[in-house]
Amino acid sequence: MTPEGGDRLLSVAPSPAFWVAVALYAAATAALLVVLAGKGRFRGAAVALVALAFVAHGTDIGWRGTAHVHPAQSVREAMGFLAFILTGGYLLASARYRLTLGGAVVMPVALIMLVAARLSPAGTAPEDLGALGRIHISLATIGVGVFALASALSAIYLAEERALKKKKFDAVAFKDRGAPLEPLDRLAHRLVWVGFPIFTVAIVLGAIWVSKLGESLDRPEYPLAAVTWLSYAGLLVARQVYGWRGKRSARLTLAGFAAALAVLVIYLVRRMVM
Amino acid sequence: MSELFVVGISWRTAPVAVREKLAFREEEVPDVLRGMTGALPVGEALLVSTCNRVEVYGVARPGQDPTGAVRRYLAEARSVRPADVADVLYDHRGAAAVRHVFSVASALDSLVLGEAQILGQLKAAYAAAGQAGTSGPMLGRCLERAFGVAKRVRTETSISRGAANVSSVAVELAARVFGDLTGKRVLVIGAGKMSTLAARHLYASGAQRIVVTNRSPEKAEALAAEIDGVARPWADLEGLLVDADVVISSTGAREPILTKPLFKKVTKARRWRPIMVIDIAVPRDADPKIADFDGLYLFDIDDLEKVVAANLAERAKAAEHAARIVEHEAGQFERWLRSQGVVPTIRALRERFAQVADAELQKTLDQLARREHTPAQQREAIQRLVQLVVNKLLHPPTAALREAGTPDEAALRAEVLCDLFGLEPVAGDGREGAEERSGRARRESSAGSAGGDAPVPPAAEPSGGKEREAAT
Repeated sequence: MTPEGGDRLLSVAPSPAFWVAVALYAAATAALLVVLAGKGRFRGAAVALVALAFVAHGTDIGWRGTAHVHPAQSVREAMGFLAFILTGGYLLASARYRLTLGGAVVMPVALIMLVAARLSPAGTAPEDLGALGRIHISLATIGVGVFALASALSAIYLAEERALKKKKFDAVAFKDRGAPLEPLDRLAHRLVWVGFPIFTVAIVLGAIWVSKLGESLDRPEYPLAAVTWLSYAGLLVARQVYGWRGKRSARLTLAGFAAALAVLVIYLVRRMVM
Repeated sequence: MSELFVVGISWRTAPVAVREKLAFREEEVPDVLRGMTGALPVGEALLVSTCNRVEVYGVARPGQDPTGAVRRYLAEARSVRPADVADVLYDHRGAAAVRHVFSVASALDSLVLGEAQILGQLKAAYAAAGQAGTSGPMLGRCLERAFGVAKRVRTETSISRGAANVSSVAVELAARVFGDLTGKRVLVIGAGKMSTLAARHLYASGAQRIVVTNRSPEKAEALAAEIDGVARPWADLEGLLVDADVVISSTGAREPILTKPLFKKVTKARRWRPIMVIDIAVPRDADPKIADFDGLYLFDIDDLEKVVAANLAERAKAAEHAARIVEHEAGQFERWLRSQGVVPTIRALRERFAQVADAELQKTLDQLARREHTPAQQREAIQRLVQLVVNKLLHPPTAALREAGTPDEAALRAEVLCDLFGLEPVAGDGREGAEERSGRARRESSAGSAGGDAPVPPAAEPSGGKEREAAT
């Protein structure tokens, strides 16, 4: 992503709010699993824990802001921000639907992302990201965050669809009585519609930025980013033209997100190694 | 003390052939209730008569057990020999009756666990008893609490969750796919009884257009008219399938009519919009292979039955939790009932004590107001006042203790007193009596009037020894 240089630390130590957020995420995950196990009366408590984790997470991001660590200043920070978007989106969606199963998937993912973002080695700061770099990282983060939400919905869709199709009436995905299939599919599709233009601009800006820096284009993350973009572009076209929906859409959404995640991981690993 | 009781018959104890003999029509209920409270030792009564149970909830007159009489009354009111239904009638009293009423209201005693009807039926029965003038405060409290418990059970457990019959399962499954059924289109193929029921259920859940098609157009027309739908010719089947969201099929065809080649065209034309096919025909109308198409959800009658079974199993599991709630609530209600029994006594006791204290206080204050007193005199007046109040309060129990008819009675009273006041009497050495006498002497020598203490019969003095015996 960036040329290395200078020895200014890219990051600051995790705030107390971070540890609170970690504890709350873990508690929320446990509570959601308890609800899944059939203790429906704890649903309210579980969602409240998610909300508290969201607040603690936001406080942590704000705290870092006061220490001049911008949420989009590096992939590492962006990942923490991505987890934040994911949790916020889940909260929004769970106001409408009973997404216990989705929460049990999303919360651990957000937890892992947050921990990776804060506790992985920070490396040293690039000399200057420049406005272009910052906007690229911000937009890419938001875009991938929206795709992450769409993917979470798609994952739930696939689990529920499978349970219904195979008539597994005692499967968790069936008993959870989460969101119905058609609305899930519609919501995921709308999210892709929202995320796609943002991600497209991010890609274009990234390409301009890289070419300005005069870097070589043979890094593995570039084709992977292209795969992400192509997946979602293909998804939108196929839906519009051929009426693709449901299972196929969901799988493609997940594939695109997997590629985006791979890009993130490559960035992180490179940061740790270098 | 009066006690709640239940006498009844239900699906648990008797088949419908027996239950129907004891069933009462709505208009008969007031007379039956008034007859019971008039002729039997029953203070309050309510009668609930549904297809699954006939039960009397009532309050016995103090100290009486009316269950036998109510059993006979129920049988005779229906011209049945009491002996013929003795084995199928059950009765509960006290705590067990409360628990039973709570269970019934919470649909824990229902044939279909968690069904919603019984609560409405109980409310109606309660209202009928109110109109007949046979419900009273105790029954009222019990029923009101039962309704509260039923609500708690419904919200805190999943006993009412999940459809419990085939046609509501069809609706539930459709909701799993489509969410809100408002505006969804239903296609009914064939004119079977089951499909009519399921279509009605879907319509009630918001599905807007119901189209009926059948090989014989007359039958389609008839069914369409019956369920507020539109009849369409059989030849349009493919187009109808393209338009529909939920298909209910129950024709008498020997061969599948919803075949793979047909759906290959249909799903493509639908652009894979989800479609649910509910095939309740035997032999089946739909080729099972059509389930392979994306977005097509096929369920046959076995699947629906399986969901019903799974839901009922879930309800049975929830019933354990619900039973614990009922148990807990019944216990609380029992405790409340018991406390209600002693409330008047407590009130009277407090009033009596306050009266005595107020009267003596007033006398002392008047005395003090009449002329100037030295501090020493004032102190003496207060001492006297306390002494007087204590003596007056202790007089009735002391007298009752001494005047007890038999030694056993005396021991019992002594024991109760020790229990109430936390006393630990020492075996009689006469000291207590001596103290009391000296107290009396002091009192009599003073200016105030004692207000009649009883003379001290020597025999009643040391009750401690006897009390000990009784306690061991």
